[in-house]
Amino acid sequence: MSGPLAPEAKFLALFLTLLALAFSVLSLQAVDAAVVAPYTGAVASAAGAVLSLLGEDVAVRGFEIVSPRFSVAVYNGCNGLVTGVIFASAVVAFPATWRARMIGLLTGLVALQVVNQVRIVSLFYVGVFLPRFFNEAHILVWQSVVILSGVCLWLLWAHRYGNPAR
Amino acid sequence: MGIQPAEPLRAVLLRLPVTLLLAMLVWLALRPALDQAVASLAEALIRAYEVPRVTRLVVDRHWVGVRRADSSANADLPALPLTGVHFNAVVLLALAFALPSPCSRRQLERLAMAWAVLLLTQVLNLVFEVTSLYATRSGAFSLASYSGLERDLHGFLQVFTDLPVRFSAPFALWYGFNADVVSSLIGGGGTSGTGTGKETGTRSHRLRRR
Repeated sequence: MSGPLAPEAKFLALFLTLLALAFSVLSLQAVDAAVVAPYTGAVASAAGAVLSLLGEDVAVRGFEIVSPRFSVAVYNGCNGLVTGVIFASAVVAFPATWRARMIGLLTGLVALQVVNQVRIVSLFYVGVFLPRFFNEAHILVWQSVVILSGVCLWLLWAHRYGNPAR
Repeated sequence: MGIQPAEPLRAVLLRLPVTLLLAMLVWLALRPALDQAVASLAEALIRAYEVPRVTRLVVDRHWVGVRRADSSANADLPALPLTGVHFNAVVLLALAFALPSPCSRRQLERLAMAWAVLLLTQVLNLVFEVTSLYATRSGAFSLASYSGLERDLHGFLQVFTDLPVRFSAPFALWYGFNADVVSSLIGGGGTSGTGTGKETGTRSHRLRRR
Protein backbone atom coordinates (compact mmCIF):
# COMPACT_ATOMS: atom_id res chain seq x y z
CA MET A 1 0.00 0.00 0.00
CA SER A 2 1.25 3.45 -0.75
CA GLY A 3 1.57 5.96 2.06
CA PRO A 4 -0.20 9.26 2.32
CA LEU A 5 0.67 11.98 -0.15
CA ALA A 6 3.60 14.15 0.78
CA PRO A 7 2.33 17.52 2.08
CA GLU A 8 3.93 19.30 -0.86
CA ALA A 9 2.08 17.03 -3.31
CA LYS A 10 -1.13 17.54 -1.36
CA PHE A 11 -0.73 21.32 -1.56
CA LEU A 12 -0.06 21.17 -5.28
CA ALA A 13 -3.01 18.87 -5.96
CA LEU A 14 -5.37 21.05 -3.91
CA PHE A 15 -3.99 24.21 -5.53
CA LEU A 16 -4.56 22.89 -9.06
CA THR A 17 -8.02 21.57 -8.16
CA LEU A 18 -9.11 24.91 -6.70
CA LEU A 19 -7.68 26.69 -9.73
CA ALA A 20 -9.56 24.45 -12.15
CA LEU A 21 -12.80 24.90 -10.21
CA ALA A 22 -12.41 28.67 -9.97
CA PHE A 23 -11.71 29.10 -13.66
CA SER A 24 -14.51 26.75 -14.64
CA VAL A 25 -16.90 28.94 -12.65
CA LEU A 26 -15.43 32.15 -14.06
CA SER A 27 -15.78 30.86 -17.62
CA LEU A 28 -19.57 30.55 -17.27
CA GLN A 29 -21.31 33.24 -19.26
CA ALA A 30 -23.56 34.20 -16.36
CA VAL A 31 -20.57 34.65 -14.03
CA ASP A 32 -18.71 36.56 -16.71
CA ALA A 33 -21.62 38.95 -17.11
CA ALA A 34 -22.33 39.32 -13.39
CA VAL A 35 -18.79 39.37 -11.98
CA VAL A 36 -15.94 39.51 -14.48
CA ALA A 37 -17.28 42.25 -16.74
CA PRO A 38 -18.25 44.67 -13.92
CA TYR A 39 -14.95 43.94 -12.17
CA THR A 40 -13.01 44.68 -15.36
CA GLY A 41 -15.00 47.90 -15.81
CA ALA A 42 -14.18 48.92 -12.23
CA VAL A 43 -10.47 48.24 -12.83
CA ALA A 44 -10.58 50.39 -15.98
CA SER A 45 -12.41 53.15 -14.10
CA ALA A 46 -9.83 53.09 -11.30
CA ALA A 47 -6.96 53.30 -13.78
CA GLY A 48 -8.75 56.13 -15.58
CA ALA A 49 -9.11 57.97 -12.27
CA VAL A 50 -5.39 57.56 -11.55
CA LEU A 51 -4.51 58.86 -15.01
CA SER A 52 -6.85 61.85 -14.48
CA LEU A 53 -5.07 62.55 -11.20
CA LEU A 54 -1.81 62.53 -13.13
CA GLY A 55 -3.23 65.22 -15.41
CA GLU A 56 -4.21 63.09 -18.39
CA ASP A 57 -7.31 63.98 -20.38
CA VAL A 58 -8.89 60.51 -20.32
CA ALA A 59 -12.39 59.13 -20.51
CA VAL A 60 -13.40 55.59 -19.58
CA ARG A 61 -15.84 53.87 -21.94
CA GLY A 62 -16.61 50.40 -20.73
CA PHE A 63 -13.28 48.60 -20.63
CA GLU A 64 -11.46 51.27 -22.64
CA ILE A 65 -9.43 54.19 -21.36
CA VAL A 66 -9.55 56.71 -24.16
CA SER A 67 -7.41 59.80 -24.57
CA PRO A 68 -6.25 61.91 -27.50
CA ARG A 69 -2.69 60.68 -26.85
CA PHE A 70 -3.30 56.93 -26.55
CA SER A 71 -6.03 54.47 -25.67
CA VAL A 72 -5.81 51.20 -23.81
CA ALA A 73 -8.42 48.50 -23.38
CA VAL A 74 -8.53 46.46 -20.17
CA TYR A 75 -9.55 42.93 -21.00
CA ASN A 76 -9.67 39.70 -19.05
CA GLY A 77 -6.03 38.94 -18.30
CA CYS A 78 -5.31 42.63 -17.84
CA ASN A 79 -7.74 43.08 -14.96
CA GLY A 80 -5.66 41.23 -12.35
CA LEU A 81 -8.37 38.64 -11.84
CA VAL A 82 -6.37 35.67 -13.13
CA THR A 83 -3.37 36.41 -10.93
CA GLY A 84 -5.72 37.08 -8.02
CA VAL A 85 -7.43 33.72 -8.44
CA ILE A 86 -4.09 31.92 -8.67
CA PHE A 87 -2.85 33.68 -5.54
CA ALA A 88 -6.09 32.95 -3.69
CA SER A 89 -5.96 29.27 -4.67
CA ALA A 90 -2.39 29.00 -3.38
CA VAL A 91 -3.32 30.69 -0.09
CA VAL A 92 -6.39 28.50 0.48
CA ALA A 93 -4.53 25.31 -0.49
CA PHE A 94 -1.63 25.95 1.87
CA PRO A 95 -1.91 24.68 5.47
CA ALA A 96 -2.84 27.65 7.66
CA THR A 97 -5.60 28.84 9.96
CA TRP A 98 -8.62 30.42 8.28
CA ARG A 99 -7.77 33.70 10.00
CA ALA A 100 -4.32 33.60 8.42
CA ARG A 101 -5.86 32.79 5.06
CA MET A 102 -8.25 35.73 5.31
CA ILE A 103 -5.35 38.06 6.14
CA GLY A 104 -3.46 36.70 3.15
CA LEU A 105 -6.42 37.00 0.81
CA LEU A 106 -7.28 40.57 1.84
CA THR A 107 -3.77 41.99 1.83
CA GLY A 108 -2.54 39.95 -1.12
CA LEU A 109 -5.45 40.69 -3.42
CA VAL A 110 -5.30 44.40 -2.63
CA ALA A 111 -1.53 44.43 -3.22
CA LEU A 112 -1.94 42.60 -6.53
CA GLN A 113 -4.56 45.09 -7.67
CA VAL A 114 -2.21 47.96 -6.77
CA VAL A 115 0.50 46.30 -8.89
CA ASN A 116 -2.04 45.88 -11.68
CA GLN A 117 -3.04 49.54 -11.54
CA VAL A 118 0.62 50.54 -11.79
CA ARG A 119 0.84 48.19 -14.76
CA ILE A 120 -2.14 49.73 -16.60
CA VAL A 121 -1.02 53.30 -15.94
CA SER A 122 2.57 52.57 -16.98
CA LEU A 123 1.38 50.81 -20.14
CA PHE A 124 -0.64 53.91 -21.01
CA TYR A 125 2.57 55.95 -20.86
CA VAL A 126 4.51 53.30 -22.77
CA GLY A 127 1.84 53.64 -25.45
CA VAL A 128 2.22 57.42 -25.44
CA PHE A 129 6.01 57.65 -25.43
CA LEU A 130 7.29 54.26 -26.67
CA PRO A 131 4.48 52.74 -28.75
CA ARG A 132 6.93 50.41 -30.55
CA PHE A 133 7.55 48.62 -27.27
CA PHE A 134 3.94 48.40 -26.14
CA ASN A 135 3.44 44.71 -26.94
CA GLU A 136 6.71 43.64 -25.31
CA ALA A 137 5.98 45.80 -22.26
CA HIS A 138 2.42 44.48 -22.08
CA ILE A 139 3.15 40.78 -22.32
CA LEU A 140 6.79 40.07 -21.68
CA VAL A 141 7.53 42.60 -18.95
CA TRP A 142 4.31 43.34 -17.11
CA GLN A 143 2.65 39.93 -17.27
CA SER A 144 5.87 38.42 -15.93
CA VAL A 145 6.07 41.06 -13.20
CA VAL A 146 2.44 40.57 -12.17
CA ILE A 147 2.83 36.77 -11.96
CA LEU A 148 6.07 37.08 -10.01
CA SER A 149 4.42 39.61 -7.67
CA GLY A 150 1.78 37.00 -6.88
CA VAL A 151 4.46 34.38 -6.21
CA CYS A 152 6.44 36.76 -3.95
CA LEU A 153 3.31 37.69 -1.98
CA TRP A 154 2.46 34.02 -1.53
CA LEU A 155 6.00 33.17 -0.38
CA LEU A 156 5.91 36.02 2.16
CA TRP A 157 2.47 35.03 3.39
CA ALA A 158 3.31 31.32 3.63
CA HIS A 159 6.52 32.14 5.48
CA ARG A 160 4.77 34.41 7.96
CA TYR A 161 1.40 32.72 8.41
CA GLY A 162 1.65 29.20 7.02
CA ASN A 163 1.30 26.41 9.51
CA PRO A 164 2.70 23.29 7.88
CA ALA A 165 1.78 21.04 10.83
CA ARG A 166 -1.93 21.55 10.29
CA MET B 1 1.52 41.97 6.51
CA GLY B 2 4.53 43.36 8.42
CA ILE B 3 6.84 40.61 7.32
CA GLN B 4 10.55 40.26 7.92
CA PRO B 5 11.49 37.26 5.79
CA ALA B 6 14.25 34.96 6.96
CA GLU B 7 17.63 35.33 5.30
CA PRO B 8 17.33 32.60 2.61
CA LEU B 9 13.88 33.78 1.54
CA ARG B 10 14.98 37.41 1.60
CA ALA B 11 17.94 36.50 -0.62
CA VAL B 12 15.63 34.80 -3.12
CA LEU B 13 13.25 37.78 -3.20
CA LEU B 14 16.12 40.24 -3.62
CA ARG B 15 17.59 38.17 -6.46
CA LEU B 16 14.30 38.03 -8.37
CA PRO B 17 14.54 41.41 -10.18
CA VAL B 18 18.01 40.49 -11.42
CA THR B 19 17.01 36.96 -12.38
CA LEU B 20 13.94 38.37 -14.18
CA LEU B 21 16.22 40.47 -16.37
CA LEU B 22 18.50 37.50 -16.95
CA ALA B 23 15.51 35.31 -17.80
CA MET B 24 14.27 37.88 -20.33
CA LEU B 25 17.68 37.90 -22.02
CA VAL B 26 17.73 34.09 -22.22
CA TRP B 27 14.18 34.05 -23.56
CA LEU B 28 14.93 36.75 -26.15
CA ALA B 29 17.97 34.77 -27.32
CA LEU B 30 15.93 31.57 -27.61
CA ARG B 31 12.76 33.21 -28.90
CA PRO B 32 13.08 32.16 -32.58
CA ALA B 33 13.84 28.57 -31.56
CA LEU B 34 10.94 28.54 -29.09
CA ASP B 35 8.59 29.96 -31.75
CA GLN B 36 9.57 27.15 -34.08
CA ALA B 37 9.52 24.41 -31.44
CA VAL B 38 6.04 25.32 -30.14
CA ALA B 39 4.59 25.70 -33.64
CA SER B 40 6.17 22.49 -34.99
CA LEU B 41 5.03 20.38 -32.04
CA ALA B 42 1.54 21.90 -32.16
CA GLU B 43 1.31 21.19 -35.87
CA ALA B 44 2.39 17.58 -35.34
CA LEU B 45 -0.20 17.14 -32.60
CA ILE B 46 -3.01 18.72 -34.64
CA ARG B 47 -2.21 16.59 -37.69
CA ALA B 48 -2.03 13.43 -35.57
CA TYR B 49 -5.77 13.75 -34.90
CA GLU B 50 -6.79 15.31 -38.20
CA VAL B 51 -8.46 13.45 -41.08
CA PRO B 52 -7.37 14.38 -43.69
CA ARG B 53 -4.15 16.01 -42.47
CA VAL B 54 -4.50 19.52 -43.85
CA THR B 55 -3.19 21.94 -41.22
CA ARG B 56 0.14 23.67 -41.55
CA LEU B 57 1.46 26.22 -39.05
CA VAL B 58 3.85 28.73 -40.56
CA VAL B 59 6.00 30.88 -38.27
CA ASP B 60 6.59 34.44 -39.37
CA ARG B 61 8.23 37.00 -37.07
CA HIS B 62 6.78 35.70 -33.78
CA TRP B 63 3.36 35.04 -35.28
CA VAL B 64 2.04 31.76 -36.56
CA GLY B 65 -0.10 31.59 -39.68
CA VAL B 66 -2.66 28.81 -39.98
CA ARG B 67 -2.84 27.22 -43.44
CA ARG B 68 -5.26 24.49 -44.51
CA ALA B 69 -4.38 22.43 -47.56
CA ASP B 70 -8.06 21.83 -48.31
CA SER B 71 -8.70 25.58 -48.09
CA SER B 72 -12.28 24.95 -47.08
CA ALA B 73 -12.17 27.24 -44.07
CA ASN B 74 -9.81 29.78 -45.50
CA ALA B 75 -8.57 32.12 -46.82
CA ASP B 76 -8.43 34.66 -44.09
CA LEU B 77 -7.64 32.60 -41.03
CA PRO B 78 -5.99 35.07 -38.69
CA ALA B 79 -2.37 34.74 -37.62
CA LEU B 80 -1.88 33.96 -33.93
CA PRO B 81 0.72 35.71 -31.76
CA LEU B 82 3.36 33.38 -30.34
CA THR B 83 4.82 35.73 -27.72
CA GLY B 84 1.89 35.28 -25.39
CA VAL B 85 2.03 31.51 -25.83
CA HIS B 86 5.55 30.98 -24.50
CA PHE B 87 6.55 34.17 -22.65
CA ASN B 88 5.80 32.36 -19.37
CA ALA B 89 9.14 30.58 -19.73
CA VAL B 90 10.55 33.91 -18.49
CA VAL B 91 8.69 33.47 -15.20
CA LEU B 92 9.89 29.89 -14.77
CA LEU B 93 13.48 30.86 -15.57
CA ALA B 94 13.41 33.86 -13.22
CA LEU B 95 12.08 31.73 -10.35
CA ALA B 96 14.54 28.91 -11.05
CA PHE B 97 17.54 31.25 -11.25
CA ALA B 98 16.52 32.89 -7.97
CA LEU B 99 16.82 29.68 -5.96
CA PRO B 100 20.08 28.84 -4.20
CA SER B 101 22.77 27.20 -6.38
CA PRO B 102 20.86 27.62 -9.65
CA CYS B 103 23.76 26.28 -11.70
CA SER B 104 24.18 23.07 -9.75
CA ARG B 105 23.55 19.91 -11.71
CA ARG B 106 20.49 19.09 -9.59
CA GLN B 107 18.88 22.50 -10.14
CA LEU B 108 19.63 22.51 -13.86
CA GLU B 109 18.07 19.06 -14.23
CA ARG B 110 14.97 20.26 -12.39
CA LEU B 111 14.78 23.35 -14.59
CA ALA B 112 15.09 21.23 -17.71
CA MET B 113 12.28 18.92 -16.59
CA ALA B 114 10.04 21.82 -15.58
CA TRP B 115 10.70 23.63 -18.85
CA ALA B 116 9.89 20.48 -20.83
CA VAL B 117 6.50 20.24 -19.10
CA LEU B 118 5.94 23.97 -19.58
CA LEU B 119 6.67 23.55 -23.28
CA LEU B 120 4.00 20.87 -23.40
CA THR B 121 1.43 23.27 -21.87
CA GLN B 122 2.44 25.90 -24.44
CA VAL B 123 2.00 23.41 -27.28
CA LEU B 124 -1.44 22.42 -25.96
CA ASN B 125 -2.37 26.10 -25.70
CA LEU B 126 -1.48 26.64 -29.37
CA VAL B 127 -3.25 23.42 -30.40
CA PHE B 128 -6.48 24.59 -28.74
CA GLU B 129 -6.03 28.11 -30.17
CA VAL B 130 -6.05 26.56 -33.64
CA THR B 131 -8.83 24.05 -33.03
CA SER B 132 -11.03 26.71 -31.41
CA LEU B 133 -10.32 28.91 -34.43
CA TYR B 134 -11.72 26.16 -36.63
CA ALA B 135 -14.60 25.35 -34.29
CA THR B 136 -15.79 28.80 -33.26
CA ARG B 137 -14.35 31.52 -35.48
CA SER B 138 -14.54 30.22 -39.02
CA GLY B 139 -18.11 31.14 -39.85
CA ALA B 140 -20.03 28.64 -41.99
CA PHE B 141 -17.17 26.10 -41.77
CA SER B 142 -17.46 26.06 -37.96
CA LEU B 143 -21.21 25.60 -38.06
CA ALA B 144 -21.03 22.86 -40.67
CA SER B 145 -18.15 20.90 -39.16
CA TYR B 146 -18.67 21.12 -35.39
CA SER B 147 -21.66 20.47 -33.16
CA GLY B 148 -22.63 22.95 -30.48
CA LEU B 149 -21.05 20.76 -27.80
CA GLU B 150 -17.82 20.47 -29.78
CA ARG B 151 -17.67 24.24 -30.23
CA ASP B 152 -18.19 24.75 -26.50
CA LEU B 153 -15.54 22.14 -25.67
CA HIS B 154 -12.90 23.60 -27.99
CA GLY B 155 -13.69 27.10 -26.75
CA PHE B 156 -13.40 26.03 -23.11
CA LEU B 157 -10.09 24.22 -23.69
CA GLN B 158 -8.71 27.26 -25.48
CA VAL B 159 -9.73 29.61 -22.68
CA PHE B 160 -8.52 27.24 -19.97
CA THR B 161 -5.08 26.62 -21.49
CA ASP B 162 -4.78 30.30 -22.27
CA LEU B 163 -4.75 32.58 -19.22
CA PRO B 164 -5.20 30.17 -16.30
CA VAL B 165 -2.61 27.59 -17.39
CA ARG B 166 -0.30 30.19 -18.92
CA PHE B 167 -0.20 32.21 -15.69
CA SER B 168 -0.17 29.38 -13.16
CA ALA B 169 2.03 26.76 -14.86
CA PRO B 170 5.39 28.44 -14.13
CA PHE B 171 4.62 28.67 -10.41
CA ALA B 172 3.15 25.16 -10.19
CA LEU B 173 6.09 23.61 -12.05
CA TRP B 174 8.66 25.63 -10.12
CA TYR B 175 7.09 24.56 -6.84
CA GLY B 176 6.51 21.00 -7.99
CA PHE B 177 10.09 20.36 -9.09
CA ASN B 178 11.63 22.28 -6.17
CA ALA B 179 9.18 21.50 -3.38
CA ASP B 180 11.95 20.65 -0.91
CA VAL B 181 13.83 23.88 -1.57
CA VAL B 182 10.73 26.10 -1.57
CA SER B 183 9.38 24.46 1.59
CA SER B 184 12.65 25.10 3.39
CA LEU B 185 12.51 28.73 2.26
CA ILE B 186 8.96 29.16 3.52
CA GLY B 187 9.54 27.39 6.80
CA GLY B 188 13.07 28.63 7.26
CA GLY B 189 12.30 30.14 10.65
CA GLY B 190 12.08 33.81 11.43
CA THR B 191 8.81 35.62 11.69
CA SER B 192 8.51 39.32 12.33
CA GLY B 193 10.50 40.24 15.36
CA THR B 194 12.37 37.42 16.99
CA GLY B 195 12.63 34.96 14.16
CA THR B 196 11.70 32.00 16.33
CA GLY B 197 8.48 31.17 14.59
CA LYS B 198 6.85 30.31 17.90
CA GLU B 199 4.55 33.30 18.10
CA THR B 200 2.50 32.35 15.11
CA GLY B 201 3.00 28.66 14.94
CA THR B 202 5.25 28.95 11.91
CA ARG B 203 7.42 25.86 11.68
CA SER B 204 11.09 25.97 11.01
CA HIS B 205 11.34 22.98 8.71
CA ARG B 206 9.77 21.55 5.63
CA LEU B 207 6.09 20.78 5.42
CA ARG B 208 5.44 17.72 7.55
CA ARG B 209 3.46 14.62 6.87
CA ARG B 210 0.26 14.35 8.86
